[in-house]
Amino acid sequence: MSWWAWLAVVLVAVAIIVVGFLVVQARRRGGGVIATARRKSRKNRGGPQ
Amino acid sequence: MSVLVRARELIGRPVVTLDGDDIAQVKDLVFDNVSGQVDGFTLNGRGAFAGPLPEALAWEAVYSCGPDAVMIRDRHALTLRDSVVTHPDMSEADVLGSRVISEGGRDLGQVVDVIVLVASVADVVGYEIESSPELSTDRRHLLIPLPDTLSVSGEALIVPEAAIEFVSGDFAEFGAAVEAFRARLRATT
Repeated sequence: MSWWAWLAVVLVAVAIIVVGFLVVQARRRGGGVIATARRKSRKNRGGPQ
Repeated sequence: MSVLVRARELIGRPVVTLDGDDIAQVKDLVFDNVSGQVDGFTLNGRGAFAGPLPEALAWEAVYSCGPDAVMIRDRHALTLRDSVVTHPDMSEADVLGSRVISEGGRDLGQVVDVIVLVASVADVVGYEIESSPELSTDRRHLLIPLPDTLSVSGEALIVPEAAIEFVSGDFAEFGAAVEAFRARLRATT
């Protein structure tokens, strides 16, 4: 392959990595504080010591 | 021993096993919308390319909640996400950004953080709000205490009118403000 074909392959690979990274970061972002309905009985709950 | 922490300080904190494996990080804090008790955490994986995990961490599986990490015994402490999160739409149930309105109909401000009292159980005891002009003219951040029983089911968060008297700008004194506010509520009921 000529040099420009290799360059195109490298650029496409870099673009895929960058887009994948941005998608993952977007999914990771947005941590929140969620109010939810009662889950189960709270009798005998454990927790940190 | 109990300690007050802001929920945003817990978000992003690493989850580490007693063997020293750093297996996840806290994504969301999940709490009961009536009792205020913390049910647990949803999790992100570790590493730049790791997204949200299918597992969650129930509060009863937390070994300790320290200033730099949430400690668990081992990987088996994680549980299915559905057993911690019951709400179908997480974004709708997020209290960050919600308006806080008093029972008397006064808009007190917008939630920017949630204050959690961490002990053997963890309880949501207050909101940090960007105050409305109703409370202060400079929109500064204030801490508003919550009663034992919350009202977190609609789009706005409702607090008793008496909570306004116990609004504080000082995090160090907020624990005392919460106790005084709850004692007032008990005395009047």
